[in-house]
Amino acid sequence: MRLRLLLSAGVLLVALLRCPPCGALLSRGSAPGAPQPPRGPHTLDFFQPEQPQQPQPRPVLLRMGEEYFLRLGNLHKSPAPRMSPDSSALAGGSDNRPGSHQAAAANFFRALLQQLPPRPLDSRAGPAERSAPGGHQEALERERRSEEPPISLDLTFHLLREVLEMARAEQLAQQAHSNRKLMEIIGK
Amino acid sequence: MPPNFKLQGHFILIFLAALRGESRYLEMQEAVGYDPLLLFNANLKRDLAGEQPYRRALRCLDMLSLPGQFTFTADQPQLHCAAFFIGEPQEFITIHYDLVSIDCQGGDFLKVFDGWILKGEKFPSSQDHPLPTMERYIDFCESGLIRRSIRSSQNVAMIFFRVHEPGNGFTLTIKMDSNLFPCNVISQTPNGRFTLVVPHQHRNCSFSIIYPVAIKISDLTLGHFHGLHLKRPPADCGEIGDFVELLGGTGLDPSKMMPLADLCYPFHGPAQMKIGCDNTVVRMVSSGKHINRVTFEYRQLEPSELENENGNSIPEFCLLSL
Repeated sequence: MRLRLLLSAGVLLVALLRCPPCGALLSRGSAPGAPQPPRGPHTLDFFQPEQPQQPQPRPVLLRMGEEYFLRLGNLHKSPAPRMSPDSSALAGGSDNRPGSHQAAAANFFRALLQQLPPRPLDSRAGPAERSAPGGHQEALERERRSEEPPISLDLTFHLLREVLEMARAEQLAQQAHSNRKLMEIIGK
Repeated sequence: MPPNFKLQGHFILIFLAALRGESRYLEMQEAVGYDPLLLFNANLKRDLAGEQPYRRALRCLDMLSLPGQFTFTADQPQLHCAAFFIGEPQEFITIHYDLVSIDCQGGDFLKVFDGWILKGEKFPSSQDHPLPTMERYIDFCESGLIRRSIRSSQNVAMIFFRVHEPGNGFTLTIKMDSNLFPCNVISQTPNGRFTLVVPHQHRNCSFSIIYPVAIKISDLTLGHFHGLHLKRPPADCGEIGDFVELLGGTGLDPSKMMPLADLCYPFHGPAQMKIGCDNTVVRMVSSGKHINRVTFEYRQLEPSELENENGNSIPEFCLLSL
Protein backbone atom coordinates (compact mmCIF):
# COMPACT_ATOMS: atom_id res chain seq x y z
CA MET A 1 0.00 0.00 0.00
CA ARG A 2 2.68 2.39 1.08
CA LEU A 3 4.82 1.34 -1.83
CA ARG A 4 2.02 2.07 -4.22
CA LEU A 5 1.43 5.44 -2.68
CA LEU A 6 5.08 6.28 -2.93
CA LEU A 7 5.14 5.13 -6.51
CA SER A 8 2.17 7.34 -7.37
CA ALA A 9 3.77 10.33 -5.68
CA GLY A 10 7.00 9.71 -7.54
CA VAL A 11 5.26 9.60 -10.91
CA LEU A 12 3.48 12.80 -10.00
CA LEU A 13 6.69 14.54 -9.07
CA VAL A 14 8.36 13.49 -12.31
CA ALA A 15 5.43 14.81 -14.27
CA LEU A 16 5.58 18.15 -12.46
CA LEU A 17 9.27 18.56 -13.03
CA ARG A 18 9.02 17.81 -16.72
CA CYS A 19 6.10 20.07 -17.36
CA PRO A 20 7.11 23.25 -19.25
CA PRO A 21 5.95 26.58 -17.86
CA CYS A 22 2.32 26.99 -18.69
CA GLY A 23 2.68 30.70 -19.32
CA ALA A 24 -0.36 32.46 -20.67
CA LEU A 25 1.89 34.81 -22.64
CA LEU A 26 2.86 32.14 -25.17
CA SER A 27 -0.37 30.25 -25.17
CA ARG A 28 -2.66 32.96 -26.46
CA GLY A 29 -3.40 33.13 -30.13
CA SER A 30 -1.64 31.06 -32.75
CA ALA A 31 1.95 29.90 -33.14
CA PRO A 32 4.61 32.42 -32.27
CA GLY A 33 5.64 34.74 -35.02
CA ALA A 34 2.47 34.21 -37.02
CA PRO A 35 -0.45 36.18 -35.67
CA GLN A 36 -3.64 35.09 -37.36
CA PRO A 37 -6.73 37.13 -36.65
CA PRO A 38 -10.05 35.34 -37.07
CA ARG A 39 -11.38 35.36 -40.60
CA GLY A 40 -15.09 35.61 -41.32
CA PRO A 41 -16.64 34.61 -44.62
CA HIS A 42 -16.97 38.20 -45.80
CA THR A 43 -14.19 39.82 -43.85
CA LEU A 44 -11.02 40.99 -45.47
CA ASP A 45 -8.17 41.81 -43.19
CA PHE A 46 -4.97 43.45 -44.16
CA PHE A 47 -2.62 40.91 -42.70
CA GLN A 48 -1.17 39.26 -45.77
CA PRO A 49 2.31 37.95 -46.60
CA GLU A 50 4.80 40.74 -47.03
CA GLN A 51 5.43 41.66 -50.62
CA PRO A 52 8.38 43.50 -52.09
CA GLN A 53 7.98 47.21 -51.66
CA GLN A 54 7.70 49.26 -54.81
CA PRO A 55 9.28 52.68 -54.85
CA GLN A 56 6.53 55.27 -54.59
CA PRO A 57 6.88 58.64 -56.32
CA ARG A 58 6.63 61.63 -54.04
CA PRO A 59 3.14 63.13 -54.12
CA VAL A 60 2.62 66.79 -54.83
CA LEU A 61 2.51 68.97 -51.76
CA LEU A 62 0.00 71.69 -51.42
CA ARG A 63 -0.53 73.81 -48.37
CA MET A 64 -2.71 76.83 -47.98
CA GLY A 65 -2.34 77.94 -44.42
CA GLU A 66 -4.82 76.19 -42.18
CA GLU A 67 -6.80 74.79 -45.09
CA TYR A 68 -6.19 71.42 -46.50
CA PHE A 69 -6.53 69.61 -49.75
CA LEU A 70 -7.14 66.15 -50.93
CA ARG A 71 -4.16 65.15 -53.01
CA LEU A 72 -5.27 62.82 -55.75
CA GLY A 73 -3.24 59.96 -57.13
CA ASN A 74 -4.48 60.18 -60.70
CA LEU A 75 -5.64 63.66 -61.54
CA HIS A 76 -6.77 62.49 -64.97
CA LYS A 77 -9.49 60.43 -63.38
CA SER A 78 -11.12 63.62 -62.19
CA PRO A 79 -11.82 65.75 -65.27
CA ALA A 80 -10.77 69.39 -65.08
CA PRO A 81 -14.30 70.80 -65.31
CA ARG A 82 -15.00 69.10 -61.96
CA MET A 83 -12.24 71.09 -60.29
CA SER A 84 -14.38 74.19 -60.41
CA PRO A 85 -14.02 77.14 -58.06
CA ASP A 86 -17.20 76.06 -56.35
CA SER A 87 -15.69 72.77 -55.24
CA SER A 88 -16.19 72.58 -51.56
CA ALA A 89 -13.50 73.06 -48.96
CA LEU A 90 -13.60 71.07 -45.79
CA ALA A 91 -14.37 72.47 -42.42
CA GLY A 92 -17.18 70.77 -40.58
CA GLY A 93 -18.72 69.77 -43.88
CA SER A 94 -19.89 73.24 -44.69
CA ASP A 95 -18.63 75.30 -47.56
CA ASN A 96 -17.67 78.62 -46.04
CA ARG A 97 -14.37 79.20 -47.78
CA PRO A 98 -13.65 82.33 -49.70
CA GLY A 99 -13.83 81.84 -53.44
CA SER A 100 -10.25 83.00 -53.99
CA HIS A 101 -8.79 79.93 -52.25
CA GLN A 102 -10.91 77.57 -54.27
CA ALA A 103 -10.10 79.35 -57.50
CA ALA A 104 -6.41 79.13 -56.67
CA ALA A 105 -6.77 75.43 -55.95
CA ALA A 106 -8.64 74.82 -59.17
CA ASN A 107 -6.01 76.78 -61.08
CA PHE A 108 -3.30 74.74 -59.41
CA PHE A 109 -4.86 71.47 -60.50
CA ARG A 110 -5.37 72.73 -64.05
CA ALA A 111 -1.70 73.78 -64.23
CA LEU A 112 -0.64 70.40 -62.93
CA LEU A 113 -2.75 68.64 -65.53
CA GLN A 114 -0.99 70.59 -68.26
CA GLN A 115 2.43 69.71 -66.91
CA LEU A 116 1.83 66.00 -66.45
CA PRO A 117 2.53 63.70 -69.42
CA PRO A 118 -0.66 62.78 -71.28
CA ARG A 119 -2.21 59.52 -70.24
CA PRO A 120 -5.04 57.62 -71.83
CA LEU A 121 -8.27 58.21 -69.97
CA ASP A 122 -8.68 54.57 -69.09
CA SER A 123 -11.31 55.33 -66.52
CA ARG A 124 -13.47 56.81 -69.24
CA ALA A 125 -13.07 53.86 -71.62
CA GLY A 126 -16.31 52.19 -72.61
CA PRO A 127 -17.13 48.66 -71.59
CA ALA A 128 -16.48 47.32 -75.11
CA GLU A 129 -13.01 48.76 -75.22
CA ARG A 130 -12.26 47.35 -71.79
CA SER A 131 -13.55 43.88 -72.44
CA ALA A 132 -11.85 43.27 -75.80
CA PRO A 133 -8.18 43.19 -74.64
CA GLY A 134 -9.47 41.93 -71.30
CA GLY A 135 -6.63 40.99 -69.00
CA HIS A 136 -4.04 43.09 -70.81
CA GLN A 137 -5.99 46.28 -70.14
CA GLU A 138 -6.42 45.37 -66.51
CA ALA A 139 -2.73 44.64 -66.14
CA LEU A 140 -1.89 48.01 -67.68
CA GLU A 141 -4.35 49.72 -65.37
CA ARG A 142 -2.87 48.00 -62.36
CA GLU A 143 0.63 48.97 -63.34
CA ARG A 144 -0.44 52.53 -63.91
CA ARG A 145 -2.20 52.69 -60.57
CA SER A 146 0.85 51.32 -58.81
CA GLU A 147 2.95 54.14 -60.23
CA GLU A 148 0.52 56.83 -59.13
CA PRO A 149 1.19 58.74 -55.96
CA PRO A 150 -1.17 57.67 -53.18
CA ILE A 151 -4.22 59.68 -52.23
CA SER A 152 -3.43 61.73 -49.18
CA LEU A 153 -4.79 64.56 -47.13
CA ASP A 154 -2.88 67.77 -46.55
CA LEU A 155 -3.90 68.54 -43.02
CA THR A 156 -1.88 70.30 -40.36
CA PHE A 157 -1.24 68.61 -37.05
CA HIS A 158 -3.09 71.44 -35.40
CA LEU A 159 -6.30 70.61 -37.30
CA LEU A 160 -5.75 66.90 -36.76
CA ARG A 161 -5.55 67.44 -33.01
CA GLU A 162 -8.67 69.60 -33.12
CA VAL A 163 -10.76 66.91 -34.78
CA LEU A 164 -9.22 64.27 -32.53
CA GLU A 165 -10.26 66.19 -29.45
CA MET A 166 -13.75 66.60 -30.87
CA ALA A 167 -13.92 62.86 -31.38
CA ARG A 168 -12.77 62.24 -27.84
CA ALA A 169 -15.40 64.60 -26.49
CA GLU A 170 -18.05 62.79 -28.49
CA GLN A 171 -16.83 59.43 -27.17
CA LEU A 172 -16.94 60.64 -23.58
CA ALA A 173 -20.43 62.06 -24.06
CA GLN A 174 -21.62 58.77 -25.49
CA GLN A 175 -20.01 56.87 -22.63
CA ALA A 176 -21.78 59.14 -20.14
CA HIS A 177 -25.07 58.50 -21.94
CA SER A 178 -24.53 54.74 -21.76
CA ASN A 179 -23.67 54.93 -18.08
CA ARG A 180 -26.83 56.93 -17.43
CA LYS A 181 -28.91 54.33 -19.26
CA LEU A 182 -27.27 51.57 -17.27
CA MET A 183 -28.02 53.29 -13.99
CA GLU A 184 -31.62 53.82 -15.05
CA ILE A 185 -32.00 50.14 -15.86
CA ILE A 186 -30.38 49.05 -12.63
CA GLY A 187 -32.64 51.37 -10.69
CA LYS A 188 -35.81 49.72 -12.04
CA MET B 1 -5.42 -4.44 -9.72
CA PRO B 2 -6.40 -3.17 -6.31
CA PRO B 3 -9.08 -0.48 -6.44
CA ASN B 4 -6.95 1.99 -4.47
CA PHE B 5 -4.19 1.82 -7.00
CA LYS B 6 -6.72 2.21 -9.80
CA LEU B 7 -8.00 5.37 -8.19
CA GLN B 8 -4.51 6.75 -7.81
CA GLY B 9 -3.68 5.84 -11.38
CA HIS B 10 -6.75 7.63 -12.66
CA PHE B 11 -5.90 10.62 -10.59
CA ILE B 12 -2.41 10.74 -12.06
CA LEU B 13 -3.73 10.41 -15.58
CA ILE B 14 -6.18 13.25 -15.09
CA PHE B 15 -3.46 15.41 -13.64
CA LEU B 16 -1.12 14.71 -16.54
CA ALA B 17 -3.82 15.56 -19.06
CA ALA B 18 -4.40 18.85 -17.30
CA LEU B 19 -0.72 19.72 -17.33
CA ARG B 20 -0.47 19.04 -21.08
CA GLY B 21 -2.31 22.24 -21.84
CA GLU B 22 -5.98 21.65 -21.38
CA SER B 23 -5.91 24.17 -18.57
CA ARG B 24 -4.69 26.83 -20.98
CA TYR B 25 -7.61 25.98 -23.26
CA LEU B 26 -10.01 26.41 -20.41
CA GLU B 27 -8.30 29.66 -19.47
CA MET B 28 -8.78 30.98 -23.00
CA GLN B 29 -12.39 29.86 -23.07
CA GLU B 30 -13.03 31.57 -19.78
CA ALA B 31 -11.37 34.74 -20.98
CA VAL B 32 -13.39 34.73 -24.19
CA GLY B 33 -16.62 33.98 -22.44
CA TYR B 34 -16.10 36.43 -19.64
CA ASP B 35 -19.05 38.69 -19.48
CA PRO B 36 -19.23 41.27 -16.71
CA LEU B 37 -22.95 41.50 -17.26
CA LEU B 38 -23.32 38.04 -15.79
CA LEU B 39 -23.38 39.89 -12.53
CA PHE B 40 -26.79 41.18 -13.48
CA ASN B 41 -29.92 39.29 -14.32
CA ALA B 42 -31.12 38.25 -17.77
CA ASN B 43 -33.61 41.12 -18.00
CA LEU B 44 -30.86 43.66 -17.62
CA LYS B 45 -28.89 42.00 -20.35
CA ARG B 46 -31.88 42.08 -22.65
CA ASP B 47 -32.46 45.76 -21.95
CA LEU B 48 -28.88 46.66 -22.71
CA ALA B 49 -28.74 44.45 -25.81
CA GLY B 50 -31.83 46.16 -27.18
CA GLU B 51 -30.13 49.54 -27.22
CA GLN B 52 -29.79 50.94 -30.71
CA PRO B 53 -26.23 51.40 -31.96
CA TYR B 54 -24.88 54.92 -31.96
CA ARG B 55 -25.81 56.76 -35.15
CA ARG B 56 -25.08 60.12 -36.63
CA ALA B 57 -24.35 61.84 -39.90
CA LEU B 58 -20.80 61.75 -41.21
CA ARG B 59 -19.19 65.04 -42.08
CA CYS B 60 -16.96 65.72 -45.06
CA LEU B 61 -13.99 66.00 -42.68
CA ASP B 62 -14.55 63.88 -39.64
CA MET B 63 -12.86 61.85 -36.94
CA LEU B 64 -14.56 58.91 -35.25
CA SER B 65 -13.39 57.17 -32.12
CA LEU B 66 -16.46 55.13 -31.22
CA PRO B 67 -18.42 52.35 -32.91
CA GLY B 68 -21.74 52.96 -34.56
CA GLN B 69 -23.47 53.63 -37.83
CA PHE B 70 -22.53 56.72 -39.80
CA THR B 71 -24.18 58.08 -42.91
CA PHE B 72 -22.79 60.57 -45.35
CA THR B 73 -25.21 62.27 -47.73
CA ALA B 74 -23.99 64.97 -50.05
CA ASP B 75 -26.11 68.11 -49.97
CA GLN B 76 -23.86 69.60 -52.65
CA PRO B 77 -20.89 68.25 -54.61
CA GLN B 78 -18.31 67.20 -52.04
CA LEU B 79 -15.03 66.57 -53.80
CA HIS B 80 -12.40 66.48 -51.07
CA CYS B 81 -13.54 64.48 -48.11
CA ALA B 82 -11.88 62.21 -45.60
CA ALA B 83 -12.79 60.61 -42.30
CA PHE B 84 -10.33 59.34 -39.73
CA PHE B 85 -11.05 56.39 -37.47
CA ILE B 86 -9.16 55.77 -34.26
CA GLY B 87 -9.75 53.22 -31.55
CA GLU B 88 -8.16 52.31 -28.28
CA PRO B 89 -4.60 51.00 -28.59
CA GLN B 90 -5.79 47.42 -28.11
CA GLU B 91 -8.45 47.57 -30.81
CA PHE B 92 -8.78 46.89 -34.51
CA ILE B 93 -11.26 48.85 -36.58
CA THR B 94 -13.75 47.09 -38.83
CA ILE B 95 -15.50 49.13 -41.52
CA HIS B 96 -18.62 47.56 -42.95
CA TYR B 97 -20.45 48.99 -45.97
CA ASP B 98 -24.18 49.00 -45.17
CA LEU B 99 -25.24 51.05 -48.16
CA VAL B 100 -23.27 52.78 -50.89
CA SER B 101 -24.89 55.03 -53.46
CA ILE B 102 -22.17 56.76 -55.49
CA ASP B 103 -21.51 57.20 -59.17
CA CYS B 104 -18.10 55.63 -59.80
CA GLN B 105 -18.32 56.27 -63.54
CA GLY B 106 -19.12 59.89 -62.83
CA GLY B 107 -15.92 60.42 -60.84
CA ASP B 108 -17.12 59.52 -57.36
CA PHE B 109 -14.90 57.33 -55.22
CA LEU B 110 -14.83 55.75 -51.80
CA LYS B 111 -11.52 54.33 -50.59
CA VAL B 112 -10.48 52.81 -47.30
CA PHE B 113 -6.85 53.20 -46.26
CA ASP B 114 -5.27 50.85 -43.72
CA GLY B 115 -3.68 53.40 -41.44
CA TRP B 116 -3.46 57.14 -41.61
CA ILE B 117 -1.85 59.10 -44.39
CA LEU B 118 -1.17 62.78 -44.03
CA LYS B 119 0.75 64.91 -46.52
CA GLY B 120 1.96 61.75 -48.17
CA GLU B 121 3.34 60.34 -44.92
CA LYS B 122 1.84 57.10 -43.72
CA PHE B 123 1.37 55.51 -40.35
CA PRO B 124 2.40 52.75 -39.99
CA SER B 125 5.35 53.37 -42.26
CA SER B 126 5.95 51.16 -45.29
CA GLN B 127 8.66 49.38 -43.32
CA ASP B 128 6.33 48.46 -40.47
CA HIS B 129 3.25 47.43 -42.44
CA PRO B 130 2.84 44.02 -44.09
CA LEU B 131 1.28 45.43 -47.29
CA PRO B 132 2.73 47.72 -49.96
CA THR B 133 1.19 51.19 -50.03
CA MET B 134 -1.17 50.72 -52.95
CA GLU B 135 -2.60 47.55 -51.45
CA ARG B 136 -3.46 49.44 -48.31
CA TYR B 137 -6.12 51.25 -50.30
CA ILE B 138 -9.38 49.35 -50.83
CA ASP B 139 -11.34 51.10 -53.55
CA PHE B 140 -15.07 50.49 -53.49
CA CYS B 141 -15.31 51.33 -57.19
CA GLU B 142 -12.93 48.48 -57.97
CA SER B 143 -13.89 45.84 -55.45
CA GLY B 144 -17.54 46.67 -54.93
CA LEU B 145 -19.37 44.80 -52.22
CA ILE B 146 -17.14 41.75 -52.60
CA ARG B 147 -15.00 43.32 -49.89
CA ARG B 148 -17.84 44.51 -47.76
CA SER B 149 -16.12 44.31 -44.40
CA ILE B 150 -12.60 45.64 -44.05
CA ARG B 151 -10.55 45.35 -40.90
CA SER B 152 -7.53 47.46 -40.14
CA SER B 153 -4.16 46.13 -39.02
CA GLN B 154 -3.91 48.59 -36.14
CA ASN B 155 -6.05 51.03 -34.17
CA VAL B 156 -6.29 53.61 -36.96
CA ALA B 157 -7.83 53.69 -40.42
CA MET B 158 -9.33 56.30 -42.71
CA ILE B 159 -11.53 56.73 -45.74
CA PHE B 160 -11.35 59.13 -48.67
CA PHE B 161 -14.48 59.91 -50.62
CA ARG B 162 -15.89 62.14 -53.30
CA VAL B 163 -19.55 62.49 -54.18
CA HIS B 164 -20.70 64.77 -56.98
CA GLU B 165 -24.44 64.29 -57.01
CA PRO B 166 -26.46 65.77 -54.14
CA GLY B 167 -28.43 63.03 -52.46
CA ASN B 168 -25.81 60.36 -53.08
CA GLY B 169 -23.73 58.98 -50.25
CA PHE B 170 -23.11 55.90 -48.15
CA THR B 171 -23.66 54.34 -44.74
CA LEU B 172 -20.93 52.61 -42.77
CA THR B 173 -20.95 50.58 -39.60
CA ILE B 174 -17.83 50.87 -37.52
CA LYS B 175 -16.91 48.19 -35.01
CA MET B 176 -13.98 47.80 -32.69
CA ASP B 177 -12.42 44.37 -32.26
CA SER B 178 -9.95 43.32 -29.65
CA ASN B 179 -6.24 43.17 -30.46
CA LEU B 180 -4.27 41.13 -27.93
CA PHE B 181 -0.83 42.34 -28.94
CA PRO B 182 -1.15 45.80 -30.44
CA CYS B 183 1.82 46.65 -32.58
CA ASN B 184 1.34 49.99 -34.32
CA VAL B 185 -0.66 52.49 -32.30
CA ILE B 186 -1.57 56.16 -32.43
CA SER B 187 -2.54 57.47 -29.04
CA GLN B 188 -5.88 59.21 -28.74
CA THR B 189 -4.68 61.30 -25.82
CA PRO B 190 -1.57 63.36 -25.09
CA ASN B 191 -1.26 61.74 -21.64
CA GLY B 192 -1.19 58.09 -20.76
CA ARG B 193 0.69 54.93 -20.02
CA PHE B 194 1.30 51.94 -22.23
CA THR B 195 3.16 48.65 -22.35
CA LEU B 196 4.29 47.55 -25.77
CA VAL B 197 4.84 43.80 -25.98
CA VAL B 198 6.28 42.02 -29.00
CA PRO B 199 6.29 38.28 -28.28
CA HIS B 200 8.60 36.30 -30.55
CA GLN B 201 7.67 38.31 -33.62
CA HIS B 202 10.08 39.59 -36.22
CA ARG B 203 8.43 42.94 -36.68
CA ASN B 204 8.87 46.55 -35.74
CA CYS B 205 6.16 48.27 -33.75
CA SER B 206 5.58 51.98 -33.23
CA PHE B 207 3.59 53.90 -30.64
CA SER B 208 2.88 57.40 -31.91
CA ILE B 209 1.83 60.44 -29.89
CA ILE B 210 0.95 63.42 -32.04
CA TYR B 211 1.83 65.93 -29.33
CA PRO B 212 5.03 67.29 -27.81
CA VAL B 213 5.46 65.13 -24.73
CA ALA B 214 7.72 64.14 -21.92
CA ILE B 215 8.27 60.38 -22.02
CA LYS B 216 9.36 58.33 -19.04
CA ILE B 217 10.44 54.76 -19.72
CA SER B 218 10.09 52.75 -16.56
CA ASP B 219 10.61 49.18 -17.67
CA LEU B 220 12.52 47.68 -20.54
CA THR B 221 12.84 43.96 -21.21
CA LEU B 222 14.66 42.82 -24.30
CA GLY B 223 14.70 39.07 -24.49
CA HIS B 224 17.21 37.73 -22.02
CA PHE B 225 18.22 41.25 -21.02
CA HIS B 226 15.83 41.30 -18.10
CA GLY B 227 15.16 44.59 -16.40
CA LEU B 228 17.61 47.35 -17.04
CA HIS B 229 20.79 45.58 -15.97
CA LEU B 230 23.40 44.10 -18.24
CA LYS B 231 26.95 43.18 -17.41
CA ARG B 232 28.50 44.10 -20.75
CA PRO B 233 26.72 46.90 -22.60
CA PRO B 234 26.94 46.50 -26.39
CA ALA B 235 28.75 49.01 -28.56
CA ASP B 236 25.81 49.58 -30.86
CA CYS B 237 22.12 48.80 -30.52
CA GLY B 238 22.02 47.69 -34.12
CA GLU B 239 24.32 44.79 -33.25
CA ILE B 240 21.79 43.50 -30.75
CA GLY B 241 18.85 43.20 -33.09
CA ASP B 242 16.30 44.02 -30.41
CA PHE B 243 16.11 47.57 -29.16
CA VAL B 244 13.80 50.50 -28.52
CA GLU B 245 14.26 53.85 -30.20
CA LEU B 246 12.70 57.23 -29.54
CA LEU B 247 11.83 59.27 -32.62
CA GLY B 248 10.71 62.84 -33.06
CA GLY B 249 9.51 64.72 -36.09
CA THR B 250 6.93 66.89 -37.75
CA GLY B 251 5.30 64.22 -39.89
CA LEU B 252 3.37 61.03 -39.40
CA ASP B 253 5.81 58.53 -40.90
CA PRO B 254 8.18 57.06 -38.29
CA SER B 255 10.70 56.13 -40.99
CA LYS B 256 11.13 59.83 -41.77
CA MET B 257 11.54 60.96 -38.19
CA MET B 258 14.69 61.84 -36.33
CA PRO B 259 16.05 59.13 -34.01
CA LEU B 260 16.62 60.75 -30.65
CA ALA B 261 17.68 57.82 -28.50
CA ASP B 262 18.36 54.10 -28.74
CA LEU B 263 17.70 51.89 -25.73
CA CYS B 264 19.31 48.48 -25.60
CA TYR B 265 21.62 48.81 -22.64
CA PRO B 266 20.94 49.10 -18.95
CA PHE B 267 20.52 52.29 -17.00
CA HIS B 268 19.46 52.88 -13.45
CA GLY B 269 16.05 54.23 -12.72
CA PRO B 270 13.39 55.44 -15.14
CA ALA B 271 14.61 57.40 -18.13
CA GLN B 272 12.80 60.60 -19.01
CA MET B 273 13.06 62.63 -22.15
CA LYS B 274 11.23 65.75 -23.26
CA ILE B 275 10.55 65.79 -26.98
CA GLY B 276 9.19 69.05 -28.31
CA CYS B 277 8.09 67.70 -31.67
CA ASP B 278 4.68 67.51 -33.31
CA ASN B 279 4.97 63.74 -33.29
CA THR B 280 6.79 61.49 -30.83
CA VAL B 281 7.22 57.79 -31.48
CA VAL B 282 8.42 54.93 -29.31
CA ARG B 283 9.52 52.23 -31.72
CA MET B 284 10.52 48.69 -30.83
CA VAL B 285 12.69 46.71 -33.21
CA SER B 286 12.37 42.98 -32.63
CA SER B 287 14.30 40.11 -34.18
CA GLY B 288 11.67 37.54 -33.25
CA LYS B 289 14.01 35.59 -31.02
CA HIS B 290 12.79 37.08 -27.76
CA ILE B 291 9.82 38.49 -25.96
CA ASN B 292 10.36 42.22 -25.79
CA ARG B 293 8.46 44.62 -23.59
CA VAL B 294 8.70 48.31 -22.83
CA THR B 295 6.52 50.31 -20.46
CA PHE B 296 6.37 54.06 -20.65
CA GLU B 297 4.34 57.02 -19.49
CA TYR B 298 3.86 60.24 -21.38
CA ARG B 299 2.42 63.63 -20.66
CA GLN B 300 1.92 66.66 -22.84
CA LEU B 301 4.51 69.38 -22.51
CA GLU B 302 3.32 72.72 -21.22
CA PRO B 303 3.97 75.77 -23.43
CA SER B 304 6.53 76.98 -20.90
CA GLU B 305 8.39 73.70 -21.19
CA LEU B 306 8.55 74.03 -24.94
CA GLU B 307 10.37 77.32 -24.54
CA ASN B 308 12.76 75.99 -21.90
CA GLU B 309 15.90 74.52 -23.46
CA ASN B 310 17.31 73.16 -20.23
CA GLY B 311 17.21 69.57 -19.19
CA ASN B 312 17.13 66.45 -21.28
CA SER B 313 15.39 67.92 -24.30
CA ILE B 314 16.11 68.20 -27.98
CA PRO B 315 14.11 71.22 -29.10
CA GLU B 316 16.32 72.42 -31.90
CA PHE B 317 15.36 69.82 -34.46
CA CYS B 318 11.60 70.14 -34.13
CA LEU B 319 11.11 73.77 -33.17
CA LEU B 320 13.00 74.92 -36.25
CA SER B 321 10.42 73.13 -38.36
CA LEU B 322 7.40 74.75 -36.75
